[in-house]
Amino acid sequence: MNALFLAFAHLRWTWARSLVLILVGALILAVPMVTQTLLRGSEDALTRRAEATPLVLGARGSQLDLVMGAVYFSEDRAQPITRAAEDAVWDSGLGLPIPLNTAFQTNGARIVGTSLDYFDFRGLTLAEGRQMAILGEAVLGADVAQRLALGPGDTVVSAPENLFDLDGVYPLELQITGVLEPTGTPDDEAVFTDVKTAWVIAGIGHGHDDVVTADADGNVTANAAITEFQRITPENIDSFHFHGAAGGYPLSAVIVAPYDTRSGTILRGRYLDPENPVQLTDPSEVIAGLVDRIFRIAALLDAVTVIIGIAALGAIGLSLFLAWSLRAPEMQTARRLGAGRFTILRLATAEIAILLSCAMVLAAGIVLVVNANGDQLVAWLLAF
Amino acid sequence: MLKRLCLAAALAASAASAQDRPVVATVNYPLAWMAERLGGGAVEVLFPVPVGQDPSLWRPGLSDIAAIQQAAVIALNGAGYAPWTARSSLPRSRIVDTSVGFSDAYIATQSVTHSHGADGEHSHEGTASYTWLDFAQAAQQSEALATMMERRIPELADTLADTLPALQSDLAALDAQARSELAGLKGQTILATHPRYQYLARAYGLEIAALEWEAGAMPTDAQWTELSELSEAKGATLLLWEAAPPAGAIDRAQEMGIASTVFAPLANRPAEGDFLSAMRAAITSLAEATQR
Repeated sequence: MNALFLAFAHLRWTWARSLVLILVGALILAVPMVTQTLLRGSEDALTRRAEATPLVLGARGSQLDLVMGAVYFSEDRAQPITRAAEDAVWDSGLGLPIPLNTAFQTNGARIVGTSLDYFDFRGLTLAEGRQMAILGEAVLGADVAQRLALGPGDTVVSAPENLFDLDGVYPLELQITGVLEPTGTPDDEAVFTDVKTAWVIAGIGHGHDDVVTADADGNVTANAAITEFQRITPENIDSFHFHGAAGGYPLSAVIVAPYDTRSGTILRGRYLDPENPVQLTDPSEVIAGLVDRIFRIAALLDAVTVIIGIAALGAIGLSLFLAWSLRAPEMQTARRLGAGRFTILRLATAEIAILLSCAMVLAAGIVLVVNANGDQLVAWLLAF
Repeated sequence: MLKRLCLAAALAASAASAQDRPVVATVNYPLAWMAERLGGGAVEVLFPVPVGQDPSLWRPGLSDIAAIQQAAVIALNGAGYAPWTARSSLPRSRIVDTSVGFSDAYIATQSVTHSHGADGEHSHEGTASYTWLDFAQAAQQSEALATMMERRIPELADTLADTLPALQSDLAALDAQARSELAGLKGQTILATHPRYQYLARAYGLEIAALEWEAGAMPTDAQWTELSELSEAKGATLLLWEAAPPAGAIDRAQEMGIASTVFAPLANRPAEGDFLSAMRAAITSLAEATQR
């Protein structure tokens, strides 16, 4: 007890050194556990969502980009395809196509243009407000709503695809009608709108004041400075219209939910031709490959962590040894006062025990905090 | 007292049954009638357009859209009918475009070419959308609706096996009646108060020249003049009214030597009867009008 008291008194006297040692010790203990937690969480989240997404239709090219963009709304996206590809799946009668247009962002959140089927497909329910009903309306994921402190009745404005798109799409004000229940998935970080609204953002659909009267041949030339509406209201919604063939409208990808196993197999067979510009991928297969790669890297990361941990422990030991060397005169004084060799050993042991205990408590705290917020952290990590 | 309790229980049971029944939402009356015929009492048909309004121009409120979004089947007419559907969020899995099967037979209407900004010149081509007035096309629409109802409401399969052939048979009979009774009108130009009858004209060999009059309203002097000029130019002596005109309008047309008949396209629910009986009566009335 005296040894613990004296050791604690000394550690408190040299508080800065003690604090550094506790922090370093806590990090050495926590980092491998945090890494494992995040890796396992990422694996679970990736695998769970991929397995819940039967097939993804998109442009031929990187399957990983296609799946990451369509399933996790990541920055990596495949080249766009056209709505005709979605229609082909619908016309086949083999599965339900769910369109996705993820080309735009607002306030750092991905705008996901889709159909109402997406909400049924993912089992998303509203925490407040109502479902989107008309052009220009949007429903927020739980995290976006919390981060931006927005709810039903508020608005967000779409951003252009990139900073250099100065003469590109018009920003469109989206009316928020509802906020989704949190799911711990990338859906929490998304702003959902109807795919037709995404096409309005893209400039394919627009509304504007009436153009001037047609001439005798039925041709009408409007002023180039004609004002296009940047907000869809009950007063102007009837003026919104789309240009070009509907089959040519762009989609980032299409989630395909086959009606049964046989339909899924037939559908996959239809997109095997490498000359076909569209491919149909199984996200669970793509993600299984990715997870396998991640865990190979994780094994390397574990080895690196062990080596760094050993080096850090050596550094801690060295610092303790040097500290005790500096305290040699103090120990000699204690010995002259009658303290035995074991008393000094008990002091040293008590000091190490206190440091280690504090480091373990701090490490446990870090791990608990990470565990408690694991889903959000994983969702945030996967969104990049 | 016992009667009241029984009545209340019956009403409650009826309400509960209505809530439990799958809903089929439709954008016009012909489709609502088909859904009623196909589903019988097993489905609740939602046709939210108020009586007296034109379903092709009606715009639903948010509560209407919310109710339609919940329906098991959302039956669209297609051919650009009810443009609000293109500006609303509806689940594709529950939508059936009942006329897509004959989309290559759509009739294009006048288009306006215009340009603005950097988009270049483009046009908005219209499409005649009263497709059901060709009753063979109406039969195809009913088949598309039945297929979707069976897919979305599998428990209806047995019912549909009985109701679809019966409905198709009635529509085939209506088509045969139109072919037979309107055969005498071939080669004769008929005037119409509104351009609603493109498919009727094409299917049954009629020549119909349309005006742009508001349904049910008394024509203005300018419109009467327009009618007179068109009648002279086309040699037409028969006018189809989309809806019953105000008192005196038919007499005034008669004074101009133009016979009248009301041929409601039945986009909305008729005051009496149903689609079949009202359309049969309208065909007969049209055929007889030429003989008067």
